[in-house]
Amino acid sequence: MSQLHQMSGKSDATKREWSRFKYPQSLYKYGITLGVVLFIIYSLHYLNVDLSRLFGIFGRLGDLLANRYYPPDIEYIKDADYIGSIIETIQMAYLGALFGILISIFLGWFAAYNVSPSRRYLYPVARVVTMLFRSVHEMIWAILFVTILGFGMLPGVLALTMFSVGFAGKLFAEEIEAIHMGEVEAIRAMGGNHLQVFVYGVVPQVRVALTGIAIYTWDVAFRAATVVGFVGAGGMGWYLKRNVMQIETHRTAAILLSILILVIISEFISAWARNYVSKAK
Amino acid sequence: MTVEAIDSKAAPLKLEDIVRNRTRKHRWHLAFYILALVLIGWSIKATIIDDTDWERIGTFSEILKSVSQFIGIDFGLIPDLLGPTIETFMIACIGTLLGLVICIPAIWFGALNVTPFKPVTYPLARIAMTLSRSIHEIVWALIFVSAVGLGAFAGILAIAARSLGFIAKMSAEAVENIDRKPVEAIRAMGGNNFQVMLYAILPQVMPVILGIVIFEWEINIRRSAVLGLVGAGGLGLVFFRQMHTFNYPGVTTVILAIFCLVLVGEITSHYSRKALI
Repeated sequence: MSQLHQMSGKSDATKREWSRFKYPQSLYKYGITLGVVLFIIYSLHYLNVDLSRLFGIFGRLGDLLANRYYPPDIEYIKDADYIGSIIETIQMAYLGALFGILISIFLGWFAAYNVSPSRRYLYPVARVVTMLFRSVHEMIWAILFVTILGFGMLPGVLALTMFSVGFAGKLFAEEIEAIHMGEVEAIRAMGGNHLQVFVYGVVPQVRVALTGIAIYTWDVAFRAATVVGFVGAGGMGWYLKRNVMQIETHRTAAILLSILILVIISEFISAWARNYVSKAK
Repeated sequence: MTVEAIDSKAAPLKLEDIVRNRTRKHRWHLAFYILALVLIGWSIKATIIDDTDWERIGTFSEILKSVSQFIGIDFGLIPDLLGPTIETFMIACIGTLLGLVICIPAIWFGALNVTPFKPVTYPLARIAMTLSRSIHEIVWALIFVSAVGLGAFAGILAIAARSLGFIAKMSAEAVENIDRKPVEAIRAMGGNNFQVMLYAILPQVMPVILGIVIFEWEINIRRSAVLGLVGAGGLGLVFFRQMHTFNYPGVTTVILAIFCLVLVGEITSHYSRKALI
């Protein structure tokens, strides 16, 4: 818009064709576009992707769902064992998110530049730890813990803890970095130490936001919990894996359906709870 | 906090009303905390006491011993990692782009102010978004591997299907929150619906959508690193191969490679989003 105004001021001196981007910007713009297109073409070639298969995919997927997966085996998911595994999944997600949030409150505190107790040592360490936890996918954490601790729900809980630390730690740190520094300075001026600054200066400001993030973390951890059993870490994932391996497609469809319903329910609960918390401010 | 809120709401509140409201609220909160504590106790009992075989895990020193197997870097593996790393990166890029492409109809249908036929298209788009977000990428990859076979293509489709929900939901919200004036201006000039979308809505939401896409791309790098588990190529495949051959230092090396790739993605995403704003 501003360019348009500039041009209208000049237009009596020189008559020019209007173009949205002027010379240096247009060069960057088209250069970047060209680079992206070339990169896409090269990577499609590198990955050996046959694009012609893309066009038939919806038909094929529809066929697949209609012929092989269609009548989901509802009886299977009403089974007591399966219901038990759903409860296990919920417990795993609950505990994992809880431990993760407890750890990430401290990690977020250390990783927030403005109130970090030690900017030289704790801040970079907390940053790197959060990054490491975030960059490793929850399935990989689950595999590692299953290797170390054996099958069961404990490795699942630990994997979800790692996942939640990575997820919530960064958001907590960002939230803490956005606070008003006035309160912090007041408590510092009164001679408060780092812990007192955190408890009386930071926590009251970020309480509501942190609760919202915590609820959201639980929601995301539940989604992850439905599949960590895939590698033997307890919960519904194990049933999914077994039925996929045995090509029991009707049962697989039923399990996917149950996952979908549970995730939608958890999403509703989390949206309601976040709404309640933000209103109670 | 509560006292001010109640005071400002209605003037003729007596002290006992305020006290009653507060005690009622406190009672609710107390019940909630007790419920949360009971749930914690129940979950800990089920997971850590009943379900865990402590004899299999053994003593603390034995755990340390199995952890220490992972310490170390397998330098011989590093040349073999370059190809899969590039592959993972490409799967993430192409998957995100494909996700953006299939997002366009979902955004169009899912934003209340532009949806063509509200009773049908709006719920349709919302269902597609929820479906996409609630199914884990591993499950998507399983579905697509059975549809198009093993290889990177299934991974790309899985990433695209998984990104649809997030991109479409946030972008539809951005479209719903646009400034109405350019839309009216184009309408007044006699523009049809398509022209309104192209000239009034798209320029307003483009930076927001690009920011969302870059954010999702960064997450997709992490996701594409595990799709190898179900046969969709990339670093995940190398990871599982190292795991199955019990080459634990190799496992650590692959994790470090994933870490480096994600770090690159995070830095790129940080600076490009800053440049957009």
